[in-house]
Amino acid sequence: MMYTEANSPPTPTFRPTNRVKKAFRSATSQQWFGFAILATLLIFSFLAPHFVSVDGAEQDLGAILTSPNAEHWLGTDHFGRSMWVRLADAIALSFGLAALCVLTASTAGIALGVLSAWFPTRFGKVVELLTTILLALPGLVLVLIFAAIVPGSFWMLYFAIALIQWVEYYRVVRAICQPLIHSPEMEASQLMGFGRWYCFKRHLLPAILPQVLTIAAFGAANAILMMASLGFVYVGIQPPLAELGLMTVELFPYYSDAPWLLAEPLVSLAAMVLGCQLLGRRNA
Amino acid sequence: MSLLNISNVSVYVGDTQLLAPVTLTLQEGERLTILGQTGSGKSLLAQAIMGNLPKALTRRGQIDLFGKTNLSLKEQKAMWGKQISMLPQEPWNSLDPLMSAERQLTDTEYYVAGKTWSTALSDSLAKLKKLGLGHIGQKRVDQLSGGMAQRVAIACATAGGAKLVIADEPTKGLDVSRRDQVVASLKEQTEGGALLTITHDVAVARQLPGKLMVVKNGRVVEQGESNDILSNPAHDFTKALIEADPLQWPNSENLASSQEKLISADAISVKRGKQTLFNGLSLDIHKNEVVGIVGDSGCGKSTLGDALLGLLPVESGCVVKHEETQPQRWQKLYQDPTASVTHSVSLQTLLEDLIKLHKLDASKATPLMKRLGLTHELMQRTASEVSGGELQRFCLLRALMLEPVFLFADEPTSRLDPLTQKDVSELLVQVAKEQGCSVVLVSHDPNMIEKRCDRVIRL
Repeated sequence: MMYTEANSPPTPTFRPTNRVKKAFRSATSQQWFGFAILATLLIFSFLAPHFVSVDGAEQDLGAILTSPNAEHWLGTDHFGRSMWVRLADAIALSFGLAALCVLTASTAGIALGVLSAWFPTRFGKVVELLTTILLALPGLVLVLIFAAIVPGSFWMLYFAIALIQWVEYYRVVRAICQPLIHSPEMEASQLMGFGRWYCFKRHLLPAILPQVLTIAAFGAANAILMMASLGFVYVGIQPPLAELGLMTVELFPYYSDAPWLLAEPLVSLAAMVLGCQLLGRRNA
Repeated sequence: MSLLNISNVSVYVGDTQLLAPVTLTLQEGERLTILGQTGSGKSLLAQAIMGNLPKALTRRGQIDLFGKTNLSLKEQKAMWGKQISMLPQEPWNSLDPLMSAERQLTDTEYYVAGKTWSTALSDSLAKLKKLGLGHIGQKRVDQLSGGMAQRVAIACATAGGAKLVIADEPTKGLDVSRRDQVVASLKEQTEGGALLTITHDVAVARQLPGKLMVVKNGRVVEQGESNDILSNPAHDFTKALIEADPLQWPNSENLASSQEKLISADAISVKRGKQTLFNGLSLDIHKNEVVGIVGDSGCGKSTLGDALLGLLPVESGCVVKHEETQPQRWQKLYQDPTASVTHSVSLQTLLEDLIKLHKLDASKATPLMKRLGLTHELMQRTASEVSGGELQRFCLLRALMLEPVFLFADEPTSRLDPLTQKDVSELLVQVAKEQGCSVVLVSHDPNMIEKRCDRVIRL
């Protein structure tokens, strides 16, 4: 760009599209594979219910435990409910929880990490105390406690999982930011009069973003697994809502009569976790 | 006897030639210095002779060592330590950080030279004493200064009895006085053998009489007796290299600077960590004046600048700014340009950020960029895609856009090639004077300060 053009409307300085483009260009084949798995599952979960006229709670006790056929593409469960629809509902629920947890935990983790690196004495010590208290209990136990307070509540599950997940973001972000805040590049920007938001945008965010994306991918996988584990021990989402862990335990008694039914939620769960894990892998 | 005899040795990666064929011989008691810019392929020649080229590279041509011809890599390796040894770049990185200096040297005497433990121990003690390092025998590398570590490394490299010593940039990152010590020590410890030194520093070449070979872009442009070449260079590149040595720079014109004070320090003392770096220091910087600060590394040159800029608190005394201006007109240039610019966006974006923040006149940038030799095409790249010299000039551009009254330049050229160093320091001083900005220039090189500054402060 020539300098004479500088009077024309200024180009936007923060270009997230560029960053997305860059991420796409540098993606490995493993990441593409993971992305493809997740995209397929997501499309399935949104479109599948539109192909059939039944909903996930509709029982048909005349046709229970059927094998996949022209009417019920993935068969029916022990109440004659359509597995096709229930699976789509369960996957959508898992994706929703994972997305919410990642968004909340990463926002909180980044904010607290950056702030405690910036104000290590006042703010940093308080946050450090908080994380020490949180980490004193195993994550799953903490989630179990919260889940037991309001059984079957999606929002309680979300709150509990996000609560234990932000610590990881916070730790990594703080570790990256601590040396950066005293680096010559930040000092130079501050000497030139740039404020804290600019320093965050130009110096800190580009440094933490790649790490945060990796943690986010693994965090999403963990959130999905955690909800399924809680469903499996009947502490999580309550029936009749479709949830992968809950479906697994409900269909468990019929594993010899209808093994395909048990396999369906398990395969979906494995695919979701695999997709997230692959997406989080970067070039070594 | 000729210790080293190489004919038509070249280095390739695949089919691409990195080093054009070189022929040379080195007799016992001779010294050869290879002089060239970073990335000119001079280290490749050393690695080819040593036989430790990276796997991707192949060597062609013939190398004879100690009268043995047609050596295989394995035979070359067998000579390491006992007949031929290499002093790698930044030797404190190649010493064991957990062992004492004495133990490292004794180990070399014991394992490489094959002496008994008691002889090895007494020999290494005697050697350290002779090098003036008798008192540091029990210290680890991190407890030694750069120069001391360098001497220990030289002692270790020669302890195996190697006659042919190859020193790859032995003075990289050392300040002038330590550099001279190290070169002297290298000379002394290789008396009687042969020494092959690789350097980009003309001053080092000057201190090592013997043969000289000048390399540019993987090609030998000139070779002969070092004194002849350095006093009478034939090739333009050699001339440029010699002129880049601060000793050869023309003196700066002493423009009359005003006597009006810009900033004064009154009996300040500053601590970094627990160490008090200076006590009761007073100085005045006048308007439009270029002041040089010299001193060995670690004496508090950078700290002084940070204290003047208010980046570090002063323990006692006070810093007085005599001119009321906006804070952004007090600027700093950093030693390592790549560490002082974010790599996340293009240089153009960074400049636009600055223009937007302070509502600067964007049309001012074009003439300044021209003056600093920065093209619009270059500005589209990020900091990782330009060279150190280009980036330092960009840093200068950003500082100058703010019309600074005071610029603290903290070793702004020490990480740059000699040729680039000359250009950047010249531009810095000239442009600052044109803009009426006072400059405090810090360097460990007294010659450079001498040539560039109106006044010199020694710490």
